[in-house]
Amino acid sequence: MFKNILMFLATVFIVTFLLVSHTTVTNLMWLSSMDMPVTISILFTSIAHDMVSMNGSGAVPAAALVAVALLIAFAVARIALKWINISRRYAYAIAGGCALFAIVLLMPLAFYNLDIIAGARSAIGKVYLIATGALGGYYFGFNLSKKEN
Amino acid sequence: MKFIKVCLLGLLILSTAISANVEAEYELETIAEGLHSPWGIAFPSEDEILVTELSGSLRLINSDGLISEPISGVPEVLFAGQGGLSDIVLHPQFDSNKLIYLSFSETDPSNKNLNTLRVVKAIFEGNSIKDVETVFLATPLRKTAAHYGARMLFMKDGTLLITSGDGFNYREQAQYLNNHYGKIIRINDDGSIPEDNPFLTTEGALPEIWSYGHRNLQGIAQNTEGTIIFENEHGPMGGDELNIINPKLNYGWPAISYGKDYSGALITPFTEKEGMEQPNKYWVPSIAPSGMTFYDKDLFPQWKGSLFVSALVPGDVRRLVLDGEVVISEEILFDGIGRIRNVITAPDGSLILATDGKNGKLIRVKPIK
Repeated sequence: MFKNILMFLATVFIVTFLLVSHTTVTNLMWLSSMDMPVTISILFTSIAHDMVSMNGSGAVPAAALVAVALLIAFAVARIALKWINISRRYAYAIAGGCALFAIVLLMPLAFYNLDIIAGARSAIGKVYLIATGALGGYYFGFNLSKKEN
Repeated sequence: MKFIKVCLLGLLILSTAISANVEAEYELETIAEGLHSPWGIAFPSEDEILVTELSGSLRLINSDGLISEPISGVPEVLFAGQGGLSDIVLHPQFDSNKLIYLSFSETDPSNKNLNTLRVVKAIFEGNSIKDVETVFLATPLRKTAAHYGARMLFMKDGTLLITSGDGFNYREQAQYLNNHYGKIIRINDDGSIPEDNPFLTTEGALPEIWSYGHRNLQGIAQNTEGTIIFENEHGPMGGDELNIINPKLNYGWPAISYGKDYSGALITPFTEKEGMEQPNKYWVPSIAPSGMTFYDKDLFPQWKGSLFVSALVPGDVRRLVLDGEVVISEEILFDGIGRIRNVITAPDGSLILATDGKNGKLIRVKPIK
């Protein structure tokens, strides 16, 4: 049980990091295209800033949002696995993708199409973020299978 | 010892008297209440007030505080998010031509997923408006119902300035001149383009653009002579700005900003860049500046020459004392009455405040008799 919790927290960290760094990088890429002096140092300090700030001073802590979405999705996946014969890795990968889908596509519907996560404003950004959820789910399912085997 | 006690008592009485005098400068009188998110205010006569409600109604309030039924002929608006019937201004020759200008958000009739900011002019006839004509339509259309800007101001030369917000999701577009996101627009009173607009001959630029690099501009005012245009805009989380607007200038959003995104992320790590204007003043944390008026009347001589900025958060009005273009001090007034959507100077020199929300009020600030 304790190991499962650790795996889940690691998954939340991975997905949150990918989500946050994506927002940071897309912002900096645009700034760079505007001839703003974006350097490697600014890239790293900005990612570090956003990892702290998006989990501390934002409207909703990113990690908490990801954790709740993944928790619900993984719980549904666990129940579904009792009836559906599919590899755990893929089941949790789908669940992770669905969790991020809910965050990036369904959340704006409640807020007049406003994308609070800046990286989710483009279609490519949305696909990327859903993929990070799937990757996180795959990681969780993979480790779960490894542990139980 | 007795002497010291007497002195202290004297000082206490004196300070109480001074404090009462300062507090007694003005009183607040509720003119009207039960308004649904009052937004724009105009004065068709000395004792009448036209007020827009974000929900889509235009109403006339007489000197007794009686609120009229909605004035007919107002176009259907998109009342969602931050959108709705927004500002109202009177034509400089309103007394003779009865022209009013309304800004509002509306749904695209051919695609319900899209909407935009529209400005129309119309003839005001007391309980109706007629001959409604579009003078400005913001393009491209947007999916979001936020950040419309939508304030208007007639400059002394008779041209109309319109603030057009960045649409929230489209913030980067504020830096490009081929769209209306995050811009101040300048048009003639009939919607045509003034011949001295700054981007008239710039390739790829929309000729009605006056300045760019703005976010959600909700206050615009000018000094008595019309030589200084003040504009305020909502920053994201922090970084609300007061700017002095000059044509052709880039005010930096979102390449430079003193605010962060609502998610907590940096929108930009930069606060300045050559070629981008610095705000005249900025607020961190945000005060959510809404309306603005330059006070040049005699009813409150001590306020003459000040700029008043209404604020939604926490809900007050900032009196900015100016030395020319420079803000030299800030005083917080009228706090404790809720979110204030607008502040405007009435013809008699009193200030009119509009409080936000479904039970919005118009409140007159007047000297104590």
